[in-house]
Amino acid sequence: MKTRLLAFGFLSPALIAVFFFFLLPVLLTVVFAFTNMSTSTGIMGGAYQINETQMGSLRDTEVSPESIEKLEGAGYLISEAGLAALAEEFGEDTAEELRDDYLGETFAARRDLERVLRNLDDPIRNTRDRKAAADLFVSTVIGERFDTAEDFRAALVETGIDPADHDLLTEFAYTGWTWTTANFSLLAELPSTMRYASNTAFYVVCTLTFNILFGLFLAISTFYLPGRLANTFRAIWFLPRILPPVLYVLMWNWFTWDRGFIATVAGWFGAPQQNWMLHTSTHAWTAVILINGFVGASLGMILFSSAIKAIPTSMLYASEVDGANRWQQVRYIILPQMRWPILFMTSYQTLSLLTSFEYILLATDGGPGRSTEVWALAAYHTALNNYGGNLQYGLGAAYALALVFIGIALSILYLRFFNFKELLSKPRIEQ
Amino acid sequence: MANLMRTSALVGALVWSAVPALAEDINITVWAGGSNDSDSYRIEAIEIAADILEREYSIWGEEVNITVEGRRDFTGWDEFKQGVTLGAEAGTAPSIVVTSHLDIAPWSQAGYIVAVEDYVDLDAWPLSNVYPNLMEIASYAGAQWGIPQDSESRPFFYWRETMAALGYDEDQIDALPDMVASGEYTLANVLEDATKAVEMGLVEEGYGFYPRPSNGPDYAQFYQSFGGQLVDPETGKLVLDVEAMTEFYQFFVDAVAAGVTRQNHIGTDWNQWYNEVANGRAAFWHGGTWHFGRYATEGNDDFWGTIQFSLIPAGDEDGRANTITHPLVYLVMDQEDDRIEEIAAQLVTIATEPRLNSLHAIQSNHLAVAEAQADIDLYRGNRWASEATEVLLASANAQPNHLDYGAYSEAMFRGLEAAWTGVQTPEEAVAEVEAQMRATIGDQLIVR
Repeated sequence: MKTRLLAFGFLSPALIAVFFFFLLPVLLTVVFAFTNMSTSTGIMGGAYQINETQMGSLRDTEVSPESIEKLEGAGYLISEAGLAALAEEFGEDTAEELRDDYLGETFAARRDLERVLRNLDDPIRNTRDRKAAADLFVSTVIGERFDTAEDFRAALVETGIDPADHDLLTEFAYTGWTWTTANFSLLAELPSTMRYASNTAFYVVCTLTFNILFGLFLAISTFYLPGRLANTFRAIWFLPRILPPVLYVLMWNWFTWDRGFIATVAGWFGAPQQNWMLHTSTHAWTAVILINGFVGASLGMILFSSAIKAIPTSMLYASEVDGANRWQQVRYIILPQMRWPILFMTSYQTLSLLTSFEYILLATDGGPGRSTEVWALAAYHTALNNYGGNLQYGLGAAYALALVFIGIALSILYLRFFNFKELLSKPRIEQ
Repeated sequence: MANLMRTSALVGALVWSAVPALAEDINITVWAGGSNDSDSYRIEAIEIAADILEREYSIWGEEVNITVEGRRDFTGWDEFKQGVTLGAEAGTAPSIVVTSHLDIAPWSQAGYIVAVEDYVDLDAWPLSNVYPNLMEIASYAGAQWGIPQDSESRPFFYWRETMAALGYDEDQIDALPDMVASGEYTLANVLEDATKAVEMGLVEEGYGFYPRPSNGPDYAQFYQSFGGQLVDPETGKLVLDVEAMTEFYQFFVDAVAAGVTRQNHIGTDWNQWYNEVANGRAAFWHGGTWHFGRYATEGNDDFWGTIQFSLIPAGDEDGRANTITHPLVYLVMDQEDDRIEEIAAQLVTIATEPRLNSLHAIQSNHLAVAEAQADIDLYRGNRWASEATEVLLASANAQPNHLDYGAYSEAMFRGLEAAWTGVQTPEEAVAEVEAQMRATIGDQLIVR
């Protein structure tokens, strides 16, 4: 029992990390995906308000036309109740003057009433006081913000709107987010969805193929090099992975831009100056696949190299005695023993490529013409990047949730298909 | 003795307790998005305003100590906007932000900002002197949420030497702004002249017309050039004019086909772009009023002798020559303490004084927000500011403050990109934009 507790003790940092950095984000993604959350709804909840621009949409609801008319007609009404309050706070003379000239009149905007208060014979001179005075006459809910539904309903009661409409109006006035499945129907409806999906499939397949083949090539070729030289080469090919992504992609940008390295060298041979990364979508895909491919290949190289080293050298010596050449060694000894590392890299890289977008964001930002926009990048653009300001958190989360499901499905498939238990068993070489 | 001590202790205690009770300490934080060194007055104007306001309060008999803390070292608009919105959610938002007027709609709906009109008198100086169309741009749904911080506009530029080589004499080049404004010189002429310039070898292929390399309000101008309308003034709904949008995309496709614009132009490095247009590598291009200063740092000391500017020409007879102004605005953010909101609103009002705003306008090559600035020596003495105000600002309109405008502008640019780079034909691109907009904007969209 004690050892079990101790084990939990040792595991707890990892469990906590898994909870906060994996489970919680996934849970939140699920929650967000079923809401219409955006910048304008806020995250923590909303308030109750109806403003002028919403009046148009209010007509499309079932609120009665009389109530809408009443809402629109209301403003700042010079009433006896308001005047009494005014007299109490700002003096009888001011109230009297206002009563004489304006009793029963309605001002559409507070600013109009403020002007009157400013131009009285006995004006309210201080701006703050004038606004407070004007607020004594408010009889509208348009443009006013109420923190709770109760406050809003109370205000509706005061303006004398038909109680039958209160529920609808309160629902309409809520500014916060609500639960909805509209994000998913929207995804199904958008013409861009299919394009992003096929872009993603293309990106994952191509990059993965490059990763594995190039990683294998590096591992095998450095295996046959003398020790120090091999390590130097491996260190060089490992650079893409250890460089910060921004720096790594910046170097690619210098390499490919209109006056960059490729353009200059190609210029010596008479090629017109062009941006080698963004010239066409083929250029962009090539750049994107290479940029990601080199990063993935370096990891593959390390993993495959150590796997090759685990092969007993006696087998290779024996094959040489039998007259096998290098290619035959690779084909019949090395590759068959590499099945598990290759499968592992394939499954691991598929999952990480599906969700990775940072290199694409930095390199092409999905261009040209959204041709390299992959699913994860679309999720980022929707949820966190928008020139016009209203970020669509809910829709972005719906994009992300689709990825979570694909990821989980693929993981299960891999575990079954590749027989995870066997992957974890002792290497056959040592049996 | 004991009495004396008691009295002095009492006096001491009174003084001790009275002074802090009278003095009020207010901390104001100002965050300015999209600002570099030349935009320092976005924050410094608030610091100067704080000094003035402290003095005003002191004369009224109130001791208010205002500490202003500014921040503008954001890596980009994204970081700034995320910082502001997440801060607002967590209750740690800055007191004042300088941001795009397009943020007013979503931020007011979310309750992140408070209307300045709740705290200051819009009919009093200096707000009464701010251009009414700019005040309008800083308002939304019937309330005045912000105060314009600067204005700018986005002109069309011509390289004089190239124009001369194309056969325009000095007078004709000088008359270009008027010809554009009256619709005599249109985008069709631009395309024709740019093609000629490339054919004659005056500029390299792809440098006839050299547009902005990334998304921005600028592209909506070309939609307007072909008669497109962004918002329906009657209903306040967004408008997709299918014909104008198609013609607008077609113009860029034609420019690519004629070899005057590069197919892979979008995504060109900004530094490279500035350097090229400032030194005459392109015949025609478009940019912003703030480019004036940038061209000088790129080595062009003779703007007036080398470059002509005008409105964005009309696309055809249905369209109009136009320019979009995209003012940044001062917004006051919702705070726990209303007093901070009030002081913040008073500060942005004082910072709008023509003299203070002119410091920013001239240092950063922006345009005035208030009419009286034209009479301030600093502003009047600057040829660029005066002429740009005259040629451009009168015809400038802004993008609408609308909750769905972000989705609208993203879809519009994506469509343009797809047509421009040859991924889709203009018709296909517009059809997809329409489907996208119908799905995301819904009943807030009018399709014509």
